[in-house]
Amino acid sequence: MTVHEYPARRRRGWWLRNPRYLAFQLREAGGVVCALYGLILLNMLIQLRDGESAYAAFLNLLRTPPVLYLNVVLFALVLWHALTWFMLIGKAQPIQFTRQPLPWKVVFGINVLLWIGVSGAVVYLIFGGM
Amino acid sequence: MPDSEVVFRVSRYRPESGGRPTFQEYRIPYRSDMVVLDGLNYIKDHLDPTLTFRWSCRMGICGSCGADVNGRPRLTCGTYIRDMRKGAVTVEPLSNFPILKDLVVDFDDFLDKLASVRPYIVRKDWGDLSKEYIQYPEDVDAYRQQSLCINCMLCYAACPVFGASPEFVGPAASALALRYIRDTRDEGGAERLARLNTKTGIWECTFVGECSVVCPKEVDPAAAIQTLKFLATTRHMRRLLMPGSASR
Amino acid sequence: MHADVAAPDEVLLEPVFWSLFSVGGFITAFLLPVMLFLIFFAAPFHLWPGDPAAYATFLAHWKEPLVRLFFFVLIGGSLFHGTHRLKFMLMDAGFKGPAAEALLDLILNGVAIFGSLGALYYALRGWLF
Repeated sequence: MTVHEYPARRRRGWWLRNPRYLAFQLREAGGVVCALYGLILLNMLIQLRDGESAYAAFLNLLRTPPVLYLNVVLFALVLWHALTWFMLIGKAQPIQFTRQPLPWKVVFGINVLLWIGVSGAVVYLIFGGM
Repeated sequence: MPDSEVVFRVSRYRPESGGRPTFQEYRIPYRSDMVVLDGLNYIKDHLDPTLTFRWSCRMGICGSCGADVNGRPRLTCGTYIRDMRKGAVTVEPLSNFPILKDLVVDFDDFLDKLASVRPYIVRKDWGDLSKEYIQYPEDVDAYRQQSLCINCMLCYAACPVFGASPEFVGPAASALALRYIRDTRDEGGAERLARLNTKTGIWECTFVGECSVVCPKEVDPAAAIQTLKFLATTRHMRRLLMPGSASR
Repeated sequence: MHADVAAPDEVLLEPVFWSLFSVGGFITAFLLPVMLFLIFFAAPFHLWPGDPAAYATFLAHWKEPLVRLFFFVLIGGSLFHGTHRLKFMLMDAGFKGPAAEALLDLILNGVAIFGSLGALYYALRGWLF
């Protein structure tokens, strides 16, 4: 008698079956969006070198309504990437400063506070304040 | 006294005929203190003796009764029917594994992966009865969490990375590798990190984190893998920058 | 000691790119949101006095070494982080096998490395040379 083993396969649409899987996929997409912004910022430096009109054209392109609203969506993904990154740091804690790992929510909270502080520092040190 | 009835939708797969797994429905008497495994055993004893599933201890320590219950990997002995969504209880074999029959999956591949990380103390003088291998409570604390793994493989069923690449070493084997790396008596850390620093090792993990969510023993394999990535990286960098240094 | 199961070969570059991915994760998480807000949204949505991205304003800030360092770190970090994630997303989508993965490594790591070098060039240009 032949016996057939049913082959292993991942369920189709696995990432829609569980909200945590969906959150994971969005987080990964947010990470990829970061690279996209890396290239956009690099392009901004190129336009800056090319002079005022090139730079202004680039900035205006970014601010045309369709691009602007697409940017809002992508910005939301970047924010989700940042928040989930702070959660991951709490959940992994590869480097521990305490004997026992801290509860992940504590680490997450510390990271968010640090994030706010760092963002404020960027506003003042890099962009010269309000 | 049974209060009412509950419907079990159980995945059936017949290895003689092949084909796709199909669902079969059973109505069983329900009491509020029943777990899913009780329901399966009721079916086996009273309704359909051909239904095949693994179980042994009924107390969450043998790790053999895992199945996907309502789409999520769980130990059927520790899952109360009353905690399920109202309506049917759907029981399927653990995701991502080949199916042998009904709810029984083939985990030979997992056992090979487990063996590949050497989940036991590796030491040149191990077994020398003239020696003492002293452990203090804090030494045990360092690996207690990972040592609680019962090899139930729920984490593999929850891992979409393993689902897409069956060669990935996976959560439980990695967590057990860390358990022995952290053991003060062990000398096999470098060897284990070398095994994990491979194409089929820890690098495929994208930290989905669901393995730690479904783990019935709170082993937290997801965190263990990130720690291993860190350990493997520091070992690797040391070897790249100081080729003459000790292997660990 | 002997291995019970033949162990596959160790990988050489993955720990390096994983480290850059992790560092990039911190950099993007902490620095990118505020940066994007100031450059893309502050002025168009009238959420900020003035326009931090306007040519004259930005050019004036760009003269400072700290600002240049900030841009280099941010661009490099985001590229190494995002390309690593994209690689694993594509592998998950079925782009697998030695040839496919070598191609992914070549293209994505190439983008990260050359993009970072480009950012370094612009950060140093007009300051060191």
